[in-house]
Amino acid sequence: MSGLFLARNQVAVVGYAHSQVVRRSTEPLGLTALRTARAAIADAGLVPSQIDGFASSSLMPTSGDHAAQDGISVVSSDWLAQHLGTEPKYVVGFQGIGQLTGSLTLAVNALASGAADYVLLHRALYSPPGKYNDSSLTQARGGQQWSAPQGFFGALPGIALVYNEYCQRYGATREAMAHVVVEARKNGARLPWGYWYDKPLSFDDYMAEPLINDPMSRLDCDIPVHGVGVFILTRADRAKDMPNKPVFISGYANAYPSHNRISLHWTLDDMMEAGRAQAARLWEKSGFTPDQIDLPQVYDAFSPYVYIWLESLGFCPEGEAHRFVMDGNIDSDRPGSLAVVSGGGALGNGRLHGVPQLLECYLQLSGRAEARQRDATTALFSYSAPNFGGAFVLTNDAS
Amino acid sequence: MSARLLPVPDQASAPYWQACAEHVLKLPCCSRCNEFTLPPDVTCPSCHSLEPEFTWQPVTGRGKVRTWTVIRQSFLGGFKVPFVLVDVQLDDQPQVRMIGQLLDGPEAPLSIGDAVAVAFDDLAPGVAVPAFRKAENA
Ligand SMILES: [Zn+2]
Repeated sequence: MSGLFLARNQVAVVGYAHSQVVRRSTEPLGLTALRTARAAIADAGLVPSQIDGFASSSLMPTSGDHAAQDGISVVSSDWLAQHLGTEPKYVVGFQGIGQLTGSLTLAVNALASGAADYVLLHRALYSPPGKYNDSSLTQARGGQQWSAPQGFFGALPGIALVYNEYCQRYGATREAMAHVVVEARKNGARLPWGYWYDKPLSFDDYMAEPLINDPMSRLDCDIPVHGVGVFILTRADRAKDMPNKPVFISGYANAYPSHNRISLHWTLDDMMEAGRAQAARLWEKSGFTPDQIDLPQVYDAFSPYVYIWLESLGFCPEGEAHRFVMDGNIDSDRPGSLAVVSGGGALGNGRLHGVPQLLECYLQLSGRAEARQRDATTALFSYSAPNFGGAFVLTNDAS
Repeated sequence: MSARLLPVPDQASAPYWQACAEHVLKLPCCSRCNEFTLPPDVTCPSCHSLEPEFTWQPVTGRGKVRTWTVIRQSFLGGFKVPFVLVDVQLDDQPQVRMIGQLLDGPEAPLSIGDAVAVAFDDLAPGVAVPAFRKAENA
């Protein structure tokens, strides 16, 4: 199967809502999700009974000792549909690691096929009391026996290994990465709903932060938060009569693991190999090329992902992303730049798993970004690492 | 400080941990295509045989450092920080990448491509975990 996505520009995002992002909340996550879902439905000019499709991924991304309880610390589409009091025809959850792109894929396909007419896509993230990733494990069973006994535990050491390989191979420095993190926090500081609102980060503060898994510091990781993003999607024929300017889905690509490795051992070569293949599918399916994308929003839960995505999507040559950012090319305040974290990303909003990227694409293309409004017709967002994640191209011009 | 957590052998991994206890590195080798893999899988990731009949073969454990990180803060108890984790590509089974502690410690100079050899960290009687030590570059 090759060529354009058959439903290219036939499904649109037509409304959204976003909760306030806080470090922790005593409110059950389900309540935050319900409030946000009701606001998003109203934003799209709809009432809950019209929502007949639900898609999401509810994973809580922690290696720590936390129980996942639906409605309290995670929120599935099943839970949300039941508690909204709707009678859905289609409720689906994505199981893989590329959660937001995976669940958006399910939402788009459901609409394109006619399985549902109005789909609510949500992502709800919880921040538990206590240390997010700390574990009191005393025995390593199953997959963990291959990693935890030597102290390889949680996602961070694996990303640090990838990042150090990049630094050693291409001569990248912490000074270069400071440009990414400071830029994300600068943009996040402009978002009244974000956790880092009005709290930009200085270059010197970034450089002074101690390393925890070399060459990564805490500031290279997004902070766990309590927050919810909700998007309403429908088909383009219905979207044209709705209150907001629709933002159309032009195409997408997802990737899946292809090497047998120890859990969370994601190598730089695996990422780039999967990323290049995924990007080729994305351009083929969406009908766009990298130079036609006005506003890419690349995933940045760990700062090195920005390099990996910039290079694998073809926005700069392999091994050059660290120089690209040092030269000011992602500065959202510089005319003509490729402002890949203009929406603050995860580093500038908190751990919201791709919601900041999708939200920025939607706000800018629907003309709803207010004082931050940019001139953009096509946008792209990516999620997770390329070997497990995905990417979407969106446009406000379906002609 | 609590003790380091110990691996719990299962049906698929028991020969691995038994060999480690004797300070021998053994890896699963597919009986159909003779390719190695780690961790053991249900099928062979190289030839996709549903009946790989893996056998555990001793290997040299020599390899090259692909990358490393210094862990200064650990989410698990029992580890004395800082320690170094190396991502090692085995010389004789280049499709296998292993992650282990570098027993030379965080002060040892390290570059990509440095030669290492498997070593073993004895955690408890009869329980040893593979690690690495720097070796002479061949
Ligand atoms: Zn085989």
